[in-house]
Amino acid sequence: MMRRFLGHLTHAITSVCLCTMVITGLAISSARAEVQAPDDLVGKLAVEMTQAVRSDPELQNPGSLKISDFVQKNIVPRFDFDRITQIAMGRNWNKADPAQQKQIVIEFGRLLTRTYSNAIANLKDLDVEVKATRVTTPNADVTVKTQMIGRAQPVAIDYGLINGPAGWKVYDVTVEGISLVAAYRDEFNGLVTSSGVQGVIDALKKKNGE
Amino acid sequence: MKRLVASLALLAALAPALASAAPLKKAKPVAVAAPIVEDEEPAAPNDALEPLNRVTFALNDGIDMVLVNPLVTLWNGVMPSFVRTGVSNFFNNLDDVYVGVNHVLQGNGSAAGADFERVAVNTTVGLGGLFDVGAKMGLHKVDGDFGQTLGAWGLPTGPYLILPLLGPSTLRETAGRSVRVMTDPRSYMDSVPSYSLMGIEYLQTRADTKANEGLIAASSLDRYVFVRNLYLQKRALLVKSARDKTSSAAATN
Repeated sequence: MMRRFLGHLTHAITSVCLCTMVITGLAISSARAEVQAPDDLVGKLAVEMTQAVRSDPELQNPGSLKISDFVQKNIVPRFDFDRITQIAMGRNWNKADPAQQKQIVIEFGRLLTRTYSNAIANLKDLDVEVKATRVTTPNADVTVKTQMIGRAQPVAIDYGLINGPAGWKVYDVTVEGISLVAAYRDEFNGLVTSSGVQGVIDALKKKNGE
Repeated sequence: MKRLVASLALLAALAPALASAAPLKKAKPVAVAAPIVEDEEPAAPNDALEPLNRVTFALNDGIDMVLVNPLVTLWNGVMPSFVRTGVSNFFNNLDDVYVGVNHVLQGNGSAAGADFERVAVNTTVGLGGLFDVGAKMGLHKVDGDFGQTLGAWGLPTGPYLILPLLGPSTLRETAGRSVRVMTDPRSYMDSVPSYSLMGIEYLQTRADTKANEGLIAASSLDRYVFVRNLYLQKRALLVKSARDKTSSAAATN
């Protein structure tokens, strides 16, 4: 009975954790930014990523320098942090002046990168299945659906990608339908309500300094 | 049977409270699942009890720190991993019975069939549920509970509620959980075996989620808000999928 109380949340959280790993994979192969279908790209990445983690024990060691290096080089460039931050800020985005906006993007990107880097170690015993995705308009948003296999329950992870001058970039991840960016939106909204846009910047800086 | 009636009576008693809990906004859909678009702001969470919830949330943190976390560490240290997996599977198997019942109540016969097939396989070949043979056969565990069923029947969530020890819930989910508790055979055992079994399940659940709790703590600015959002997104999605399945089943009849 208590199991039910915690179960759903747990599942959500596990999923958030797992999704990070896939994103990681995603980043690697898309670094080539050639004209490629986003689902091929996700699939190829997932394979390369899991192989990298399995063959390199240092990438399985949370907190190692190699991980942060790896993430900086391969993953960060594949994320559209501007867009992620704008979505997470929602209607509060326009309340921030350009200097504040820039600061929020930097600090939020730092938080996401730092927090989720260590999750890639978990990829070593997981496989990723990518569902075929149809791209109707070349420059529109695309959602690539994947499944992480290897735990008791497969975990559905969807990636929102957008095609820009620098190729496809990830701007949202939903895990079993749960959007990570939406969770941050509630947090940012609360902070803006209680202490304004500066409150968001201060909270992010404080968190990153921990 | 008497107990089932008692559960339903309680439910009936709670229903008006639930309905009145969200009088202004009629079951507004929480924006989930679809990729977020900038101009589409999600509804503010129904958290009328936030001051109380934050107190309970802090209380739970305290209990975790002094009691639960040390016990979980001990549990993980003492029990070999195959035992922990077995314990986890065992309680999951019991839960699958309830999942099946709820799928029936939701009018989702095919899902219920798969749930009961899982129970049958895991209880027999899986040695009383210790091994999740069903998953290896492609019959994966699916979520389903009374709170979801109430939602599928149209009951609004009611306000968000943090329960002592048990964490995030809503008024509706709490009602659903009461039904579960009252129909749980453990509620009618002697107190020692009953509390032992519940305690073991609780510990194992917490052990399963420990890593994720760490990740949440590391990634959130206001953990209370972060957890609330993840929980409400998850619940809304579960109810939505149950409703979709129910209506599609009705359409084909």
